[in-house]
Amino acid sequence: MEKAIEVIGLVTHYGDREILKNISLSIPSGKTTVILGGSGCGKSTLLKHLIGLLKPTRGKILINGKDITVMKDEELDEVRKRMGVLFQGAALLNSMTVSENVALPIREHTRLKESTIQIMVRMKLDLVGLSGFDNFYPSQLSGGMKKRAGLARAMALDPELIFFDEPSAGLDPVTAAGLDELILKLRDVFKMTIVVVTHELPSVFMIADYVIMLDMGDVIFSGTLDELRASDNPRIRMFLERRPEKETYSPEDYFRIIAGD
Amino acid sequence: MEIEIVDYKGANVVVLSGDIDMYSSPILRKQLMLLIDKKVPLLLIDFKAVSYIDSSGIATFVEGLKGMMSYGGRLKLLGIPEGIMEIFNFSKLDRVFEIYGNIDDAFNN
Repeated sequence: MEKAIEVIGLVTHYGDREILKNISLSIPSGKTTVILGGSGCGKSTLLKHLIGLLKPTRGKILINGKDITVMKDEELDEVRKRMGVLFQGAALLNSMTVSENVALPIREHTRLKESTIQIMVRMKLDLVGLSGFDNFYPSQLSGGMKKRAGLARAMALDPELIFFDEPSAGLDPVTAAGLDELILKLRDVFKMTIVVVTHELPSVFMIADYVIMLDMGDVIFSGTLDELRASDNPRIRMFLERRPEKETYSPEDYFRIIAGD
Repeated sequence: MEIEIVDYKGANVVVLSGDIDMYSSPILRKQLMLLIDKKVPLLLIDFKAVSYIDSSGIATFVEGLKGMMSYGGRLKLLGIPEGIMEIFNFSKLDRVFEIYGNIDDAFNN
């Protein structure tokens, strides 16, 4: 398997709390990898490290063989130009139209003529089903349309690698399925390496070629969907079968916590 | 990307090789626009040695086609490799551009 990203011995903290506990994993090239796990398992933190927004306490993150954790800002900017990110809230700039949002990275990072940029923007908007919405402002779009506009912007520079943070969050099932189909198209036509952070199981089963599962800051699984389905790891079974957590502490412990002991 | 402009039975053939990306597209655009400004009636684009094209490259050809259509010129693409053809198909541009397998077909049709 050709690796697009390799994480080696990654440790990270928020204050004194260890969030990622010496994790190592690989993300294959040209495939859709889903990073799966319950709320608070560290998956969004891992994503922020993969795109270079956070620096770890220890460990390496190799993208195309180069460690981004030790890169200077200018070098990291070059790597980021080859990445697209669809953030959970789409992160559109509200003072700009949809078209201006999509054009922004192209204007910032290339010397293309405005006439070429405008054609590219219309192509990206059509790709995500937003033809004709060029002059709309983000506040005039639905949640699903905002996500699609965010995706058009993430695609603006034709990235090799694209990251999605909880793409289905807040979307109705039909809109979420439409976004999943779009993710599959991007993989098949543009041969992109796609990384999706989610806890939505229907989405995982639709789009994943490869799955990495995190639990309490550790990697508890990496492999194919079939291997995930066949796993007898109790934490994975709980997740797949949607079984709730058992009480983690006794009434005595609970009393000690709220009494402040 | 490398660009070579050759003559084929009196028509201009733009022979491209390598990657057509955000860095090289402005150079390609400049060359195409020089020919289009002269209102050449037929322009053949040879893709055989193109290894990659991104959306800035596709947009450049869309701009070129639009420019040629304005005076009745014809822009024809030929020898598009399979992987690149997939992108034309996906974006439905295979139905917009005149696309041929080889230079004779492109010239004679």
